[in-house]
Amino acid sequence: MTTRRRVVGWLAGTLSLLLAAGTVSAHGGSLAGGGRESITVPTWLFLSTGGAAVGASFLLASFVTDRSFIERIHDWGAPLSVSDSRLPVLGARAVGLAGYVTVLGIGFFGPTTPQTNLAILLVWVGWWAGLAMTTYLIGNTWRLLNPLDTIALALPSLERDYPARVGAWPSVVGLLALIWLEVVSPLADDPRLLATAIVGYSVLTLSGAVVFGRETWFAEADPVERVFRYYGRVAPIGRADSGLRLRLPGMDLSTPRLVDGRDEVAFIVALLWGTTFDGLVTTPAFTDLTTPLVEAGLPPQLLYPIALAAGFGLFLGAYWLAVRLSRRAADTYLDETDLAERFAPPLLAIAAGYHFAHYLGYFLVLAPALWVTLLSPLSDPGAVPVYEPPGWFGSVGIAAVVVGHLVAIWVAHAAAYETFPSRLQAVRSQYPFIAVMVFYTMTSLWVITRPEVSLPYL
Amino acid sequence: MTDDYDVPENAEAHECRYCGRPFAREEWLALHRGLDHPAQLDDDEIAAFRAAHEAEESALGNFRLRALGALVVIYFCLLMIYALV
Ligand SMILES: [Zn+2]
Repeated sequence: MTTRRRVVGWLAGTLSLLLAAGTVSAHGGSLAGGGRESITVPTWLFLSTGGAAVGASFLLASFVTDRSFIERIHDWGAPLSVSDSRLPVLGARAVGLAGYVTVLGIGFFGPTTPQTNLAILLVWVGWWAGLAMTTYLIGNTWRLLNPLDTIALALPSLERDYPARVGAWPSVVGLLALIWLEVVSPLADDPRLLATAIVGYSVLTLSGAVVFGRETWFAEADPVERVFRYYGRVAPIGRADSGLRLRLPGMDLSTPRLVDGRDEVAFIVALLWGTTFDGLVTTPAFTDLTTPLVEAGLPPQLLYPIALAAGFGLFLGAYWLAVRLSRRAADTYLDETDLAERFAPPLLAIAAGYHFAHYLGYFLVLAPALWVTLLSPLSDPGAVPVYEPPGWFGSVGIAAVVVGHLVAIWVAHAAAYETFPSRLQAVRSQYPFIAVMVFYTMTSLWVITRPEVSLPYL
Repeated sequence: MTDDYDVPENAEAHECRYCGRPFAREEWLALHRGLDHPAQLDDDEIAAFRAAHEAEESALGNFRLRALGALVVIYFCLLMIYALV
């Protein structure tokens, strides 16, 4: 059976690539927890290996040319039976509300040491690291947990018409604003400030939900809901027409019409750029590059928003350039927006891979502290236990980045097969996107191999 | 699917008579008809699909050879660089 032989060959090739990436990662240092070590292979070689791994996986994927086999992989799965009981939903909403009240209460009145403050640990370790990881590894639960959604249920709604032209753009701006706030402000160190920021975000969100209706607001404008919804599409458990459905991780990303319009494409690129920006600002190169600008009279407060917007523009510009080139390479009459929508969702697998690489170590190191403070939220124990990850732990991060790319390449391959009648046309359409993925990968790998310095001008 | 098309002026377009999707090449239209509307085709269209499919298979064979060559080049380049550095 040729298909099976091809698959075995493909798997073997992928495995040897993974092993190659693993050897590099032995020098690659730890991604997580911010402790970046210098690597023993030269940076240019490390970066080229990463880029070559992406290119080689694309070539390997292109050996799979059996349409029905690709369809079988993507349709594999089963509907999950869900009980009709309202109890799990109510329970989830209660847990979300309890977490929200705890974060605000402990944030305003708890201990001020960040390492022992439950609000800080619950938001950054439990929610932004832990819950986000379960979202793309298992399934999206934020839809039910979201306490603001639960509160909005009890509020009246004016049901004003949400302007269709605005679409997802508020969530794009909101996501960039959240990334900026997370990077420049001591939200991870100052519980009072964190609680204040959450109150501000809650007021904004609840007003939006009251004016435009709860469902519209969370579906369109709320950046947090959208981040979790998009991460959830990578997960093996997702929503189908009737209830929940189990499928292979990432395979939902090739579904047509998953992303609609330029605004939603921009959101996916913003999500990917956010994970990169986080690390970029702490590289020595960022300080070197921005020092002349500030000395020339650029106000330091403007530096970070400008850098954030410029990098986002660069990432988005690279993506749209790839779309234009792909349209030419495939010689297709589908319009640009259509192609952009088709090939943006695979990038979510890459974003999830980076998130996992970035936050798994952080989560494991601080999870014991979260547990201890959860048991006694109001006392300040002074010192909390932390977990020391073993030395090989850095390779887990690199492996996550590699796996994210492999899934993205496979899903884009499948989406191209579904879009174009000719299989060679489908392969050609992917050249520009693979170039963009290589660019994103090398940027991110470059960032994680730089020594970490403190943020300039803050 | 409600795809949007953007056919440049004076460009040759072969439109699908079942769904209206335009293609730049006739073989792509033949393949599309066979893949997306298999139950509706007449005998000529079935023959056109078979011919286009066969041509595609042999082109894919060529492509696989070139892809394999590229993989081998990538692999040995990296191997040599790692041996030298
Ligand atoms: Zn058609």
